[in-house]
Amino acid sequence: MRWGESVKKALFLLLVTLAAGWFSLLMTRKSFADSLATMAEALDRQVGAWNATGQDGTYDGETIYDYIDGAGEVYRAYNMQRCLSRSYTAAGEPAIVLDIFDMGSSEDAFGVFTHDREGKPANVGQDALYRQGWLSFWKSRFFVSLYMERETPAAKEAAFHLARAVASLIREEGRKPAILLGLPPKGLRDRSVRYLHHPMLLNYHYYLADENILNLGKETDALLATYSRDGKRARFLLVQYPNPGKAKEACSRFLAHYLPEAEGKVPLRLENGKWAAASLKGRFLAVVLESDSRSLAEDLLGEAKACP
Amino acid sequence: MSVKNIITRRDFLRAGACITLGSFMGLPHGVGSSANREGKSRVVLMRDKDVLDSNEQINRIALEEMLDDAVTTLLDAPDPSSAWKRLVTPGDIVGIKTNAWPYLPTPPPLNEAIRKRLLEAGVGEENISADDRGVLRDAVFQQSTALINVRPMRTHHWSGLGTLLKNYIMFVPQPSRYHDNACERLGAIWQLPHVKGKTRLNILVMLTPLFHGMGPHHFSRQHTWPYSGLIVSQDPVAADATGARIIQARREAFFGGERPVTPLPRHIVAADTRFGLGNSRAERIELIRLGWQKDQYL
Repeated sequence: MRWGESVKKALFLLLVTLAAGWFSLLMTRKSFADSLATMAEALDRQVGAWNATGQDGTYDGETIYDYIDGAGEVYRAYNMQRCLSRSYTAAGEPAIVLDIFDMGSSEDAFGVFTHDREGKPANVGQDALYRQGWLSFWKSRFFVSLYMERETPAAKEAAFHLARAVASLIREEGRKPAILLGLPPKGLRDRSVRYLHHPMLLNYHYYLADENILNLGKETDALLATYSRDGKRARFLLVQYPNPGKAKEACSRFLAHYLPEAEGKVPLRLENGKWAAASLKGRFLAVVLESDSRSLAEDLLGEAKACP
Repeated sequence: MSVKNIITRRDFLRAGACITLGSFMGLPHGVGSSANREGKSRVVLMRDKDVLDSNEQINRIALEEMLDDAVTTLLDAPDPSSAWKRLVTPGDIVGIKTNAWPYLPTPPPLNEAIRKRLLEAGVGEENISADDRGVLRDAVFQQSTALINVRPMRTHHWSGLGTLLKNYIMFVPQPSRYHDNACERLGAIWQLPHVKGKTRLNILVMLTPLFHGMGPHHFSRQHTWPYSGLIVSQDPVAADATGARIIQARREAFFGGERPVTPLPRHIVAADTRFGLGNSRAERIELIRLGWQKDQYL
């Protein structure tokens, strides 16, 4: 093969590759932008006695505050991309407000679902919870909320019908965060697990410090969980950093600010009689925030896995 | 970064309470407080079962009378006009800090009643403004010499309770900076130069308080009830602490057992012990009950 032909072939391949990449990028953006819009088109505007009223609302990470006030921060902290909102009303019945949040990834849809885990499990989407007047579920990269101004049997039935209609429009299921595989299974209270990135959310569930001493952020995945073994309880945190260096830096910072007197020797007994400890596993940092016993703290650190 | 500059959960554990953190952070105690820190703080709970009709629509006349009775009693004044003249002078520039949350806003008839009394006390119409989210851009608020703080009581996603103390979060450009640890540092906002010492009256609206919230909207009508009350005080901490006790009691009655507000509204106690803004403990509050006595939850 002559030199000129080789160059031409290489250039052709390069152009094809670039075009394919650009095309796939366009496709990604298009499918992302269309998704909530497609769902809005496909979703019935009448559910039993309820009819959609007014125009659908659409919000992004900035305008979400206009819609749901301070709680918008929760969704932003899980990288919310867009939200579609629609109200259904029926004569003599409470309004039903449907909010579909596109969280950008199934991991974050799962994460925002774990923010509030009160309620009874329901069979919608990949996981659902029902509290009096509020049904929420997640599927794929979507978190869906159906809220009733007050609960009536008919409104509850309509909300479930609507929820299942939304779930059926989301064809594929999404995967949960891989970091879940790192949690020790024994004694784990499933409903206690919170998946998060932002220190503000960690502080909401378990106040640690007024500053971000674990260097949590968009590049970190964290799990907060409660364990119960033989009558002893523990709060456990597992954080995945982008690389072992960042994990080591965070571990040093945590020990310096939270357990300074430990001088590297953990577990350490806290002022309330509970035990705290931390250990590194590659790019994972495992932290026992509070444990009723020293042995439970040591066991949890030993059993936590550095998953892929 | 200095280790000692960061407050952690363990600092709270060591202290056993947040009482020492004021000095720890170099914050003054009792400065700029509108409350009586030495003695008891007076709080008036005024209720009228007829202020709401069966559809929870407000009877304007009854509401005006509730406000008048509460303010007059609070200040030991002979009549409403005298009472308001003790609160403001004709030279004052008055911002009425309301709350615009769409599900449970400050009732417009109450705003109008306050405005009417301010005008009667001689404050110029051009020197009165009612606002919530726009207070930092509002010319009257920017020049204000006096503030009237008025909002409904409700549970709140970040602070546990949406209180009078919480209502001033719009006086900072980035409210979310105060969300950590259940908004425990809200009292610091009351020490800012454009806020400090200006509050003349606090009115916690307890007409249909929200005692439980859930979901993105944090509201459901079934978690409100017609309490039909106003809590009025010059001490925002005492008013909030009183309202918080009512909310907690209502939750226990509704849910049938202990069900603490989540997250715990730490900012109320912190406003007392850490920021010196008033009294949160019941024994430091002189509670005067007026009107309808049934199911007071106190």
